[in-house]
Amino acid sequence: MADKAESLESTGPPQRESKQRVAPVGAPVHKPRRGFELAMMSPALFLLAAISFIPLFMMIWMSLSKVGLIGGLSFSFIGLENWRHLFGDPQIGSSWILSIIYFAATVGIELVLGTAMALLIHSMIRARNLVLSLVLIPMFIAPVIVGLLGRFLLNSGFGLYTWVLSVLGLYDGNILGSVGPALVAVIGMNVWEWSPLIALIVLAGLTAVPNDILEAAEVDGASYWRKLVSIVVPSILPILLVALLIRSMDAIRFFAIILITTNGGPADSTKIIPIRLYDIAFRFFNLGYAAAVGLTMLVFSIIIANIFVQVFKRRQATL
Amino acid sequence: MNNMSHRLAGIVRGLLIALMLVWSLVPVIWMVLSSFKPNTVITNSPPSFLFSPTLVHYVNLFSGGNNLWQNVINSVIVAGVSTLIAVGLGTMAGYGLSRIQMRGKDHLSFWIISVRMAPIAAVIVPLYLMFRYLHLLDSYTGLIIAYLSFNLPFAIWLMTAFFDDLPRDLEEAATVDGATKWQVFSRVALPLMKPGIVTTSILCFIFAWNDYAFATTFTGPGTQTIPIAAANVLTQSGIDWGALTAIGTIVVLPMAVFGLLVKRWLVTGLTLGAVK
Repeated sequence: MADKAESLESTGPPQRESKQRVAPVGAPVHKPRRGFELAMMSPALFLLAAISFIPLFMMIWMSLSKVGLIGGLSFSFIGLENWRHLFGDPQIGSSWILSIIYFAATVGIELVLGTAMALLIHSMIRARNLVLSLVLIPMFIAPVIVGLLGRFLLNSGFGLYTWVLSVLGLYDGNILGSVGPALVAVIGMNVWEWSPLIALIVLAGLTAVPNDILEAAEVDGASYWRKLVSIVVPSILPILLVALLIRSMDAIRFFAIILITTNGGPADSTKIIPIRLYDIAFRFFNLGYAAAVGLTMLVFSIIIANIFVQVFKRRQATL
Repeated sequence: MNNMSHRLAGIVRGLLIALMLVWSLVPVIWMVLSSFKPNTVITNSPPSFLFSPTLVHYVNLFSGGNNLWQNVINSVIVAGVSTLIAVGLGTMAGYGLSRIQMRGKDHLSFWIISVRMAPIAAVIVPLYLMFRYLHLLDSYTGLIIAYLSFNLPFAIWLMTAFFDDLPRDLEEAATVDGATKWQVFSRVALPLMKPGIVTTSILCFIFAWNDYAFATTFTGPGTQTIPIAAANVLTQSGIDWGALTAIGTIVVLPMAVFGLLVKRWLVTGLTLGAVK
């Protein structure tokens, strides 16, 4: 920085400098030249185009075909057959309903728990940084290891949590092997891994809570709940929306936890749509149909991405 | 009276904080502890808290025929190369995208974020067919391309957000001074972006390192990453929990350290710049 300031004073050729200084006044010189910016962007954007549009067109084509794998790849055009099948398939329908339940429960619990964690950490004076670091750890764990830990802790023979639940008299049985408890367990694993992210986001929002209003409420004898509901929550609402969008996108992106713990079972009770798709594609090798299912998932994520871009732009405009 | 309710609130708060720590950390602590337990102790019911620690699981993993070293190397190569490409190209593109004024910029942003958010299960299907056709299954190249499908848009978007935050005065001063646009980028803007570049790199590396879905579909015997090694133990009939908890510890600990290194910028990184 110091170097720059110095060179600005000493080494700048005088003629060119004066020309530049005049530039903003003279309109023609100010015409934007974008060659440099475009050159900087193009390598990344060409690569991105290659790895996004080629698979997308491929998927559309696959969804209109019967894809054969045996004896070399073969495509036979079957028109809208896959799509007709898709909209009449009760298994896909029930998977979507299950996905919505799973999604609402996961993201809903995460928002509440994450906000509670953020409020707790925010209220701390000593060791706040250390506690935050410790609480964030689950977020860095590979989903497959979260699933592995779930199977380890919930093992019906020797699992630590199985033992705790049975000692407390809450549940006694094979959690991952029973319809109902298995769904609760996979939701719990997701909540365990991702609530810290909500806590981290909300914590950033809590610094924006107006302190003077909080103090005024304190003087007026407002209870903790009253302050929370009337002052804190309204002022962190915008940031909660960002948290909700971020988690919504990832909740449908990742499916490794379920893949490794229940793989959709027992009796399809945890078979959310990505697991169903994976089954169709790589157990039954019905790739054309899988592509159609994948395209419907893509529509869902594009809608959320669209909302995210709007919110992002509005936040940039206001900040 | 008021004093007592105040103290009670303090105790409740302390208990809740303890509960939060127990909830967050017990699974991790239990995994690390179990990786030092002899196999006979791991499957004790009720669980044993006292045991004589052993390194046997770690020694077994890194010796003999089924060597985990190869998986570690595979993971480092695919995560490392995809991170380098994503962050290198993403930094350049992020600067260009942040400084350019053009119509259709919103559409460009929307496209980039849509690629990042595309469901992995959906992306796997066409990639599988393409890789099969191009003989890229069980190759580093295939997996690197797959990881670029989420890391490249992530890096472009996040670096754009970081560059957007950089004050322009220094760059303007350098331009007035006669520096070319490339010099302004490489000598003025880039050195100020170290936190942004480090954060983006670490997050890209973690995303790739932690992936299971792509790796399980695209890798073969020669290219399996560590999460696949863990899953392979899990699908055997008699699960070796000692080996499994040891692999888990190896997968988790470096990423937790990396992640906490950039704690200050995590919220920006993980919200793609929407929260600062």
